[in-house]
Amino acid sequence: MSTATPSAHAHAEHGHTPFLQHHFREMSQQFDAARIGMWLFLVTEVLLFGGLFVGYGIMHARHPEAFVAAHHHLDKTLGALNTVVLLVSSFTMVLSVWAAQTSRKKLLVLFLLLTLACAGTFMVVKYFEYSHKFHEGLLPGKYYSHKGDTVPGQFLFFSFYFMMTGLHGIHVLLGMAAIAWLVVRALKGHFSSQYYSPVEITGLYWHLVDLIWIYLFPLMYLIS
Amino acid sequence: MSHVNEHAHPVTGPKTYGLVLLALLVLTVITVQASYFDFGPWNTVVALLIASAKGSLVALFFMHLRHDKFNAVIFVGGLLFLAVFLIWTLFDIATRQPVLPSNLKTPVQEFPGAPLGAPVRPSTGQPRGTPAL
Repeated sequence: MSTATPSAHAHAEHGHTPFLQHHFREMSQQFDAARIGMWLFLVTEVLLFGGLFVGYGIMHARHPEAFVAAHHHLDKTLGALNTVVLLVSSFTMVLSVWAAQTSRKKLLVLFLLLTLACAGTFMVVKYFEYSHKFHEGLLPGKYYSHKGDTVPGQFLFFSFYFMMTGLHGIHVLLGMAAIAWLVVRALKGHFSSQYYSPVEITGLYWHLVDLIWIYLFPLMYLIS
Repeated sequence: MSHVNEHAHPVTGPKTYGLVLLALLVLTVITVQASYFDFGPWNTVVALLIASAKGSLVALFFMHLRHDKFNAVIFVGGLLFLAVFLIWTLFDIATRQPVLPSNLKTPVQEFPGAPLGAPVRPSTGQPRGTPAL
């Protein structure tokens, strides 16, 4: 150790993968650092959505009748369908991580594309739900123009509905962009059991998006 | 190098993940069915408990937290802060009375010098019935 410079030593031993950044000692250190960074980011995401969940809790506690009346405008079937679609997409995402861990390149690309297809299905269903609400005037705050309500204050529910599902939808779109980037890199043959950090941390992000929807679904569609 | 990766991050197979997906779908059916029952004030609690069971499955298996104690501490630490935020806010919401004269335990002076507990004209503090200045 005293004769060889540390960097030369590291490059000689680990020179077989071009994806080791020079500031990391070895691949497993780089992998662990990437995951810690992602988990810290996910915690900030939890707190970001947490603020909206707390606001939802306050307004739901203060205006229970308005929230129950407003949630009847949502379609439980479409909500449940989207829940299943996202759960399946989490499953295909974790299988693509497994495919990368075991160096199965074709399966990796296949599972990533299946995940993209599920995410696309989710957004299409969301599009139909949103356009139905725009048409009915079920909009947040002062834009609420639905006629024939018997319970006042329903605009409050739709403020939270659009903020929370909208922010979640943006996260789905960003996840789709990240997965598309993974498909390109997977096709170039970048990923193997030696190096799959991007697949792993995109997977973590994608599962968190699923996790948030798991809480959004009962709070928006199933309240009583 | 590969033995280091595999030692630190054990590979879980598709079978386990398939079973987890099955459990998640069953719990989704349960949460939809549970929404047709009336548990009174516990409706939201039941829904959140089922959601948390699903969330735990996702975090432990799909996000590999069962093999990853370090990041589990980071994540659960974040959830604890969220719990403090949510629970303490709900304490306030649940125990706060609307500010109405009938809820006040002692007569309140509207401002210094106003008659205690007597109806006053809000703008001047004079007893009701006296002509305006």
